[in-house]
Amino acid sequence: MSEVVIRTPVPRRTILKAGLAIGAMQVASPFVVKSLADEPIKIGMIDPFTGVYAGVAQNELIGAKFAVEQVNAKGGVLGRQIELLVEDSANDVGTGVQKARKLIERDGVQFLIGDVNSGIALAIAQVSHEKKVLHVVSGGHTDGITGKDCHWNVYRVCNTTKMEANSVAELLFNKYGKKWHFITPDYAFGHTLQEAAEADLKKYGGAITGNELTPLGTTDFSAYLIKARAANPDVLLVLPQGLDMVNCLKQIAQFGIDKQIHVAGLQQELESLEAMPPEARVGIWMFEWYWKQPGVPGVEKFVADIRARSGGKVPTARTWFGYTSVMTYALIANREKTLDAVKLARALGDFELPDDVKLQPNKCYYRKGDHQLMTSAFVGQALTKPAGDPEDLFQVDSIVPGDKTSPPENETGCTLQWPA
Amino acid sequence: MTQLLVFNITNGLIIGAFYVLMAIGLSLILNLSNVINFAHGGFLVVGGYIAYTLEPYLGFWGALIASPFLTAIIGLAVESFLISRVYSRDPLYSLLLTFGLAFILEDGTRSIWGANGKPFTVPAFLSQPLSNEFFFITGYRLFMVAVVTIAVALLFILLRFTRAGIRIRAGTLDLETVSAVGINVRALRSLNFAVGIFLAGLSGVLAGGQLGLEPTMGAGLLMPSFVAIIVGGVGSLAGTLVGGLLIGVASGVTAVFFPAASEAVIYVLMAVVLLVRPRGLFGEEGMLT
Repeated sequence: MSEVVIRTPVPRRTILKAGLAIGAMQVASPFVVKSLADEPIKIGMIDPFTGVYAGVAQNELIGAKFAVEQVNAKGGVLGRQIELLVEDSANDVGTGVQKARKLIERDGVQFLIGDVNSGIALAIAQVSHEKKVLHVVSGGHTDGITGKDCHWNVYRVCNTTKMEANSVAELLFNKYGKKWHFITPDYAFGHTLQEAAEADLKKYGGAITGNELTPLGTTDFSAYLIKARAANPDVLLVLPQGLDMVNCLKQIAQFGIDKQIHVAGLQQELESLEAMPPEARVGIWMFEWYWKQPGVPGVEKFVADIRARSGGKVPTARTWFGYTSVMTYALIANREKTLDAVKLARALGDFELPDDVKLQPNKCYYRKGDHQLMTSAFVGQALTKPAGDPEDLFQVDSIVPGDKTSPPENETGCTLQWPA
Repeated sequence: MTQLLVFNITNGLIIGAFYVLMAIGLSLILNLSNVINFAHGGFLVVGGYIAYTLEPYLGFWGALIASPFLTAIIGLAVESFLISRVYSRDPLYSLLLTFGLAFILEDGTRSIWGANGKPFTVPAFLSQPLSNEFFFITGYRLFMVAVVTIAVALLFILLRFTRAGIRIRAGTLDLETVSAVGINVRALRSLNFAVGIFLAGLSGVLAGGQLGLEPTMGAGLLMPSFVAIIVGGVGSLAGTLVGGLLIGVASGVTAVFFPAASEAVIYVLMAVVLLVRPRGLFGEEGMLT
């Protein structure tokens, strides 16, 4: 069957007039202006969802999404729903900065979260500072973010490298010995972590036998391991993260080095331990948060809630970072009854996280002088055999409060410049 | 110090053997099809993940054999549906196509198996050092060298003594004539591509036992393989073999004296070879034009 289509030409002028009329209505008529209360509050999140940190970034997102869901279920922020806008920094500083500008300038986010990569976190903090947007760095550890490069609008949830070093160094020295050899990733994070640990070691009276700087993305660590073993240290500290750490520990186990030298490190994550075969899961480390904390209020429920949203996987420290970042904003904005970035940033100084957010036994608060969260270090041992649950791969021996691991405010090098 | 040096040279040869396996696959495809396969690292990762998935059912040995074949089948499909369409065009097209494919394969593995790394375990008797003195020579590393030796030997036998192999070699030298005498060049290229991807899949299984299995792992292994081809000479499989071993040793030895340059040294080596002998160590003149 054929169809006859009759086209009635609409004169161009009519279209123009109609367009003009619609445009005028938007400006002039009070009826079409939406009430502000209907508009959601936008929160921007930038993380490396592609590249080597994709696994940990994904977990931060799961935590952040869960927080958004919880906040909205309880009435949102100032009676408005919150909406999470997510951008991929692709583990690249330039892309991260571009995404930060896009989120702030085009999408008009009120609050920014990110990035896992320290370099990108530092760079987007510049942007949020320039644009006067409250910003929480969820997962970048390099000291400068809440040290010499701190800003009035930037807070940080995860530990500084110095806090990580301080939490484990004494234990390693007393338990394993005073000659240390380092395998250090050759970039900002690795350097500050290694320097902090070496400073601690020297304070206790120990000495280093060597420091192997390994390029980011090293696949074969054998040349460095041959050198490290020849130096005959008491402890071999493995500082690379992510896939590099997995590769390094896997090769250490295959070479049997862990049977001759104590293998340990500072920062360790569940994501990395899960990617290793059992024999590579050795040594003393610190976790920034751990999912198994018997008797600590709220933890069990949080674990169950996350499991229900992640295909049965338990939350990691990264999940908690994402969760805490969003919760921080919602809590402070609701308490202060404002979205003004300067007022909120001021109010966050000394802000203490409630039990159902901090999810750890010690007091957990943002420090006024450098905007660093005083969060606990979970020090313990990696488990070759899981303890019951297949994801229980770490035995927590002590939970050290943040103000014990962090250097005092006046030693961080941070001077906050508030806008006039 | 001498001991350290000897250790690192031996170690470099072992690592080099791995690069050889990957580079030979790349080289095969480049020689016959004129395609610079940027997706080779992606196929390696796919091979590793397939082995990881099959291991609980077939065991390590079953996965080692089955995974490269399955990877080759995926490779064959990709070649027939996508790559074969740009053979007649400027090599830039296939370069862009495989470049895009590399991203698709990486993100594909990420969405199927997750962004987080997976533990691929090798039999316990292999993942142990053979002696206390030479602790860096583990059973697995020797096994890797053995697999590479066997695979390369079989490939050379295939190329020298079978009809298809002789055609592939002839095609590398003069594809037009091969086509003119009535050989189905289209099928020949498909077969050749599948063999190349088979080697990528095999590299993936071997790498999975040694390194963490993760969607991005292929990218780091691809560049040294390209360098191995260029150093050895485009068009020469024997050259690729020598090139792979050479960059393994160069990188191992540099790590002793100047670790920061252990990656850069292979590119320096490449630059020197290109300056002194632009066709590569074993390359024939005019192959690159």
